[in-house]
Amino acid sequence: MLLAVFTPSDSRQVSPDATLVQRLLQKDVNAFETLYDRHSSIVYAVVLRILRQASTAEEVVQDVFLQLWRNAGLYDESRGAFRPWLLTLARNRALDHLRLKAERQRRREEQAEELPSVAMKPDFEGSLDDKRRAERVRALMTQLHPQQKRALELAYFEGLSHSEIASALKEPLGTVKSWIRNGLLRLKQELQGAS
Amino acid sequence: MSGKDPIRDPFLELMEAYALGALDGEERAAAEAHLANGCEECARALAEARAVVSELAYLAPEAQPSDILRGRLLATVRAEAAAAKGGNVAVGKTTMPWWMWAAAAAVLIFGIYNGYEARSLSEQIRAMQGEIGEQQRLRQETEQQLALAKREAVILTDPRSIHFPMPAGKSGVPAMQATWHAGLGIVVSGQGVAAPSGNRTLQLWLIPKEGGKPVPSLAVRPDAEGKFDLLVPEPPGTQAVTKALAITEEPEGGSPQPTTTAMWVGELGAK
Repeated sequence: MLLAVFTPSDSRQVSPDATLVQRLLQKDVNAFETLYDRHSSIVYAVVLRILRQASTAEEVVQDVFLQLWRNAGLYDESRGAFRPWLLTLARNRALDHLRLKAERQRRREEQAEELPSVAMKPDFEGSLDDKRRAERVRALMTQLHPQQKRALELAYFEGLSHSEIASALKEPLGTVKSWIRNGLLRLKQELQGAS
Repeated sequence: MSGKDPIRDPFLELMEAYALGALDGEERAAAEAHLANGCEECARALAEARAVVSELAYLAPEAQPSDILRGRLLATVRAEAAAAKGGNVAVGKTTMPWWMWAAAAAVLIFGIYNGYEARSLSEQIRAMQGEIGEQQRLRQETEQQLALAKREAVILTDPRSIHFPMPAGKSGVPAMQATWHAGLGIVVSGQGVAAPSGNRTLQLWLIPKEGGKPVPSLAVRPDAEGKFDLLVPEPPGTQAVTKALAITEEPEGGSPQPTTTAMWVGELGAK
């Protein structure tokens, strides 16, 4: 089941990621290398989407993976799968960076600009699973109302709260709350159905 | 899903937005307090919500971090692993990337080159300082010689000077010419004078009027043509107390008292 991938507390099988993280505690460089190769693309893509600057994004990705290396014990397998945990860590770092550097305004001004071409590749080089999941999420988003999709993007990639999104989209607060909750529930159902 | 009716626990409805970080201040604080109280159902819902929220990552345009980042991270990790295991870190493989070593080498080479350049410059400066010192010494000597030449010219031409011959005691030996200026000194000139043997010199003496011992003055050696001009800027006596000037042959550097018979003698005021 796909859901089992992100709720391993329901699963009795130890995921390979979790095993690799355990090996990090023994300072196993090969385990780190495998985890990096497996997750760095999606982590970098998210951080780059938030920060919109390749060099800064790489700094944040480096910090995230070094934190993983130095504090692997922070990951608790019983509380969820590794990738969501890692992505949450990376996203929070990127959003913190965005807030601390007051780059939000600058990012909005640069929104029309294209992302650095050197950092972009036509396809993920990761597993087919990554590719399928990406297609599934994007397909779902096309089914949502454009403002609903925008609300989710503002929340995830810009770290805006309900009220900030309502202000940005000029929509009632209650509507925004419903959009976000319903959008996430639809995504959850979609993933459960696909699994 | 928890399977529990969300109405019975209103916080369950907040877990998606909480996982997304979209809750505003009061709602977020309330949700955190609720979770902190140990609601297992909400904690489970939050874990699921986080997993769903993380799927939004796939909305980001596809991108790859650079190979440089990978290399930098692995180098750091290998170094820390080696340090943690107490092993020695292999230089060049773990402690620093190649470009950092290259930069360090460049700095070292630059430093050596700089040191060489600085040393070379110092040597050049010292050489130039030596040349400048030598030039200054030559200039001082020239200025002194010029000043003496001017002094000698004034002594020889000033009408207040007295001129008198110093004939030789032996026949066939050319006489010398003496000029004495009361304020500027004495000039004794000679031509066709045979140089003394070896390093011996010709020394000037002032012969007192009262019959005292000859007063020693400067010594000189004629050049290859037997010519010389001896200037005595500060004579050891005055015209008032001096009867005559005499020249003897003395060892190099002169003597405190004559060791030979005077070969040239000239009385002041003699014509």
